[in-house]
Amino acid sequence: MWTQLGKHGWKISPGNNWPCLTVCINETRPIRGAGSLDSLTRAALQAGWQETATKNNGGIGVSKNEEERMSPITEARKTVLRNSQNELLHDHNHDGIDRRGFLKCMAWAGTGTFCVIRGGMLRSYSMSRLAELDPREMAKEIAGELSFAQISDSHMGFNKAANPDVAGTLQAAVDKINGLAVRPEFLLHTGDISHLSKPEEFDAVEQILKNAKPKDTFYVPGEHDVLDDDGKQFLDRFGKGSQGAGWYSFDKKGVHFVGLVNVMNLKAGGLGTLGHDQLEWLEDDVKHLKHSTPIVVFAHIPLWSVYPEWGWGTEDSAQALAYLKKFGSVTVLNGHIHQTMQKVEGNVTFHAAASTAFPQPAPGKADSPGPVKVPAEQLKSVLGITDVNFVRGKQALGVVDSTLE
Amino acid sequence: MRRSVSVAVFITVEILVIAALSTGRQNAALAAQQKTEAAEVKIDNFSFGPATLTVSVGTTVTWTNRDDIPHTVTSADDPKAFKSKVLDTDEKFSFTFTQPGTYPYFCSIHPKMTAKVVVQ
Repeated sequence: MWTQLGKHGWKISPGNNWPCLTVCINETRPIRGAGSLDSLTRAALQAGWQETATKNNGGIGVSKNEEERMSPITEARKTVLRNSQNELLHDHNHDGIDRRGFLKCMAWAGTGTFCVIRGGMLRSYSMSRLAELDPREMAKEIAGELSFAQISDSHMGFNKAANPDVAGTLQAAVDKINGLAVRPEFLLHTGDISHLSKPEEFDAVEQILKNAKPKDTFYVPGEHDVLDDDGKQFLDRFGKGSQGAGWYSFDKKGVHFVGLVNVMNLKAGGLGTLGHDQLEWLEDDVKHLKHSTPIVVFAHIPLWSVYPEWGWGTEDSAQALAYLKKFGSVTVLNGHIHQTMQKVEGNVTFHAAASTAFPQPAPGKADSPGPVKVPAEQLKSVLGITDVNFVRGKQALGVVDSTLE
Repeated sequence: MRRSVSVAVFITVEILVIAALSTGRQNAALAAQQKTEAAEVKIDNFSFGPATLTVSVGTTVTWTNRDDIPHTVTSADDPKAFKSKVLDTDEKFSFTFTQPGTYPYFCSIHPKMTAKVVVQ
């Protein structure tokens, strides 16, 4: 059953055997105006979380029986998606801003996003909202079999007016992670670790992250991490066991994680690029995985066209996403744009994380993407971390586990 | 004996030739220096200004980063005619253009920042 939540949010209560999913799905037409993004965000934030889910044809990471059991939702979703898909393709290919035809939640306030994947679908929470929850309530919300936190764009070494203390704000992000009712198993850092690729900047980040309760951090480079040395230092420090410029994959509890590098060899006037070698590797990396395997891809520059005018997109991301089409659940985590943003397109949920250093303007809302200066007391409200929590439904659990065997 | 004399003569000639060549080079360098003009490009707010700079051959162009974000000055040609190290706020990069032509360049960190130098 669907209940409306705010102007463009919907709540689905599918039945007793499935956790309640709360879904923001845009109505195609009202979201066309730029202003409606804000109303969508407000609706999500008012509800105390941001959460997105969509699906083409059935459950994600879910058996055939499960799909049938979920058919009422599936049909409802299909209707929404059928209405929206043509427009989605149209907009995606033409102006790249993706205003129409799909869901886009954008949060410009708050300390970042906390995400939960449930049954292969990703839910996300504002960190500040989570902090407001009673500890027991929080524990219940974020409990799962696998959780991790994303941090991004720490820009260690930046010392301008927008944030003279990037070490302090990174430490604050770590404190927030350490304060979660559930300890994330690991951290993902989606790049721009340093500001100028200086050894002491990388050192400082590593030192601060040593204080984080999760002991492992998986990195991908941002363009600020590969300055002047084609990423050699990054590879030496963080790229052990990786391929090419630092791409790799790993598995955690049935979820396949893929770290991609799209900040090398940027061309004049162009966007981020993955390149032929990496695309070939990706195709091979996911070839033998079962379709039900949840996939989490993380890379620095967004793998969708957030705002190409500012270089906020990746030239050859369509090819990468084509290799991931067969999977029921794909989550893409990015940084680079220093603000949280989400979009669902078919089987793929895109998330951009806030920076722990300084905010950047919303797409097209300023002359340039330079740092936004906010009063010191407000700074921490526009910086943040992203936590992702993977929770498997009972039925899906068996399916996903069998994938690993 | 005769042989050693001829060797000595040869060495002397060679020294004279080298001396003459290096003097010529110095003169040429001096002449180029005297002709050299200077031009400035400011990097600010994620753009190069002016976006098109026209200079005469021999001009040294200096880029100054006035932005609060680092940028680079990187030739868009293959092979690259010039490439700066990363320029943090207020850092400079200079390059002397000795051949006429159009030199497109960009910031390799923010590749949407593009501009060109036209050398006449």
